[in-house]
Amino acid sequence: MQSGGSGRLASVRRWTAWPGRLSYRSRLCWAGFFFVLPALIHLTVFKFYPLIEAFRLSFYRYDLMSPPVFNGLANYHALWENSLFHQSFWVSVKYMFGVSIPEWFLALGLALLLNRAMPGRSVIRLAYFFSIAMSQIVVAMVWKFMYHPHGLVNTILEFFGAGRINWLSNEGTALPSLIAIGIWRGIPLFGVIYLAGLQAIPKDYYEAAMMDGAGPFQRFVHITIPLLLPTILFVMVISLLSAVKVFLNPLVMTGGGPNGTTRVLPYFIYETGFAYFRMGEAAAASTVLFVFVFGLTLILLRLLRRGGVQ
Amino acid sequence: MNKKVLLLWGGWGITLLTILGIGVTLLPYFWMVSSSLKTGAEVFELPIRWIPQEIQWANFPAALSRGSFGTYFANSGIVAVAVTAANVLFCSLAGYGFAKFRFPSRELSFRLVLSTLMLPLEIVLVPTFLVVQHLGLVNSYGGLIVPLAVDAFGIFLMRQYIKDLPDSLIEAARLDGCSEFGIFWRIILPNCKPALGALALLSFRDNWDQFLWPFIVASSDALKTFPLGLAQMEGIDSAAYHEIMAIAVIGMIPMAILFLFFQRAFVRGIALSGLKE
Repeated sequence: MQSGGSGRLASVRRWTAWPGRLSYRSRLCWAGFFFVLPALIHLTVFKFYPLIEAFRLSFYRYDLMSPPVFNGLANYHALWENSLFHQSFWVSVKYMFGVSIPEWFLALGLALLLNRAMPGRSVIRLAYFFSIAMSQIVVAMVWKFMYHPHGLVNTILEFFGAGRINWLSNEGTALPSLIAIGIWRGIPLFGVIYLAGLQAIPKDYYEAAMMDGAGPFQRFVHITIPLLLPTILFVMVISLLSAVKVFLNPLVMTGGGPNGTTRVLPYFIYETGFAYFRMGEAAAASTVLFVFVFGLTLILLRLLRRGGVQ
Repeated sequence: MNKKVLLLWGGWGITLLTILGIGVTLLPYFWMVSSSLKTGAEVFELPIRWIPQEIQWANFPAALSRGSFGTYFANSGIVAVAVTAANVLFCSLAGYGFAKFRFPSRELSFRLVLSTLMLPLEIVLVPTFLVVQHLGLVNSYGGLIVPLAVDAFGIFLMRQYIKDLPDSLIEAARLDGCSEFGIFWRIILPNCKPALGALALLSFRDNWDQFLWPFIVASSDALKTFPLGLAQMEGIDSAAYHEIMAIAVIGMIPMAILFLFFQRAFVRGIALSGLKE
């Protein structure tokens, strides 16, 4: 081996010489491309192709057994005429906003709470964040048990003088019960995200504001909120996206009932496709759901961008 | 009331709120563990028995014998480990590619990757099933694992982390004649352990938990994952809540242990996702 400098030079020359035809730049170009290629192929096969396929299939009649038959807009028309689809759509909308709007505020509250200096803070954080690690199915089964007519929720409410309610099989309470679980589960998760956002705000800002005589409320409005805006935007979008895909809780806890009051759109799609084998109609419903989610995300991003978020 | 008294009361109020919040957050889990150790009769007993009179360890073997739970847990383990490994590998490869290289349509393809966050399985369920059917993977481990092997969130997370690694690290290795893959393997991976750990934990949690996809693609009992087994317990005996809770407790244990040991990585992973964008 030669000493440092010239050895390096030699290896540069060797390196740039290979494979000869490609320049340094285009070689790097190809290298980067190859790094992302496996993921791109996977996403193309299991995300983009299915999306296009869902769109195509939405114009066909298909029951998995016989080959698909083109039937134009009949699936969309059937959905439009189907009162169950309308019901599902509104159940999904109610669930989405019912879960995410309280989450935005309560999770921020939790983050502000956990961001304060207090004794035993790390243990308190541990207690709140434990819930994030838990399985959805475990949560679903536990809550089904808690909502049981003889379950803990009723027992506690009875202690305060309320009557026993069959939460999950009552048309008026089934969806709110599921919404409550969604909120309960989301608060620690989004709390972590907010907390990270809060911790990224430089302390000097607060100190400077205090020197200028700003009170806690003013500091919150003029420093915390503007600097946290990107995180708030992120939480808004992600909470809506994760609420719209809820499926397991209705499936395991209520079976979409009573009377369809908890049949969210993903449940409707599943039922139409895999219980009634109307794949075309299920694909049409998927397309509608996607357009809805996509549109909502775009609107939200645009609105908030206009509000000054980068 | 002067300011000091107000602050004191405010402090007490916040403490009370904190404790109440912890209670609401953890109560269901406490109730689950407590119920899993009770007799069937004790479960709905009034007044509430917070701690079982006599601990019923026998609930666990009894519950496990209600289905082939050995198989279900093994399947969940296989799926979770395989999907996590695939995610860690492919997402870090892609994250590196997006973070440190320039190639035509890089921004476009990264946007496309991110846009798949709007395409959860719940939305593309029918066509994804058809793709898997077309590949002949229905009712196989391949069918359970392959469609979940890459997740846009993981790519995003790795890209964010790798972007902050200094370019000089890569340049130096390149000048030393290291191959491009060698740079990834020997320089990039060891330098993003925190992100890899966070990604692995989050991915393991999501896939240990996998319900919907196995529910659609695995109809044979030998391929069922533990969430499916747990959900079907109810159909077998809806009154046996103490045993259902016992299975839930067993299902909770791996995640609880991972969380307690790697709490920081866990929280960091979630926090990373929310930062800088």
